[in-house]
Amino acid sequence: MSDLDTLPPAPDAAGISLDGTRVFTISAEENAALCRSTGIEPASDGTAHPIYYYVATQVAMGKTVAGVCEACEFDVDDGPMMGSSGVKFDAPLMVGTSYKVTGEILSLIRKRSRKLGVMDVLTYRLRLHLLDGTQVLETDNVWVLPRKEFAA
Amino acid sequence: MSYAVGDALPPFTIESVSPEAMQQWAVFLADPNPIHLDVEVVKAKGLGDRVINQGPANVAYMMNMLMRAFPGGRIKAMDSRFLDNVYGGDRATVTGTVAAIDGNSISCAFTLDVEGRGTVNSGTATIEV
Repeated sequence: MSDLDTLPPAPDAAGISLDGTRVFTISAEENAALCRSTGIEPASDGTAHPIYYYVATQVAMGKTVAGVCEACEFDVDDGPMMGSSGVKFDAPLMVGTSYKVTGEILSLIRKRSRKLGVMDVLTYRLRLHLLDGTQVLETDNVWVLPRKEFAA
Repeated sequence: MSYAVGDALPPFTIESVSPEAMQQWAVFLADPNPIHLDVEVVKAKGLGDRVINQGPANVAYMMNMLMRAFPGGRIKAMDSRFLDNVYGGDRATVTGTVAAIDGNSISCAFTLDVEGRGTVNSGTATIEV
């Protein structure tokens, strides 16, 4: 018997929708500020910094960061940590273009690590679309949710 | 710019990660997590004695290295792993190498390293040139 067998299972969060209702538009002003905050100048060809894959999907998904944590029965004040982030672009992100988000939680898996103790590993997928529905990217993010309440 | 498999890419360095930029990123991300904004909160949580950079900003540094290395190229796919925190005041450098070339598609591997603490992020990407 694994020691995880003695713990309650992770909340059943898989399948929870993260579809957004708001439109996200990458403004030239914000793109310039974001680029400069990372040490580069904005592109002159109208493309936005590709990190907007993360920014736009987080801001325009259907839940806040705290809301995603709540869906996993986790208090955001307990410190969710980014584990990994992946993205596949179908098209570049453009300044002045508006986007909407669809997505869902893929899994929430309880694990035990030597460093963090009991933790839930959250994986969710978000897609960014033009307003006509054309998909421009898909991103999978993994967060680690340390479950301090199960500390030995 | 022409590369061969195994070639090192030009590094990209942030001389000092800026707490002021973290305040901007809290707005960009609509996420006012105080570990990025208030050093007293970082201390109270036992996470260190400097504010912690937002993870996506670290990804942006790695993207900047790729965009500088491949002018006119486009990142088609990218995966990043978060191994440790980047703190305000850190000197952070992205280095990478060419892992494979397939026509106009170049695969790269890279890391973000912080002076004195080693690798804090790692990743792979495919660039279309």
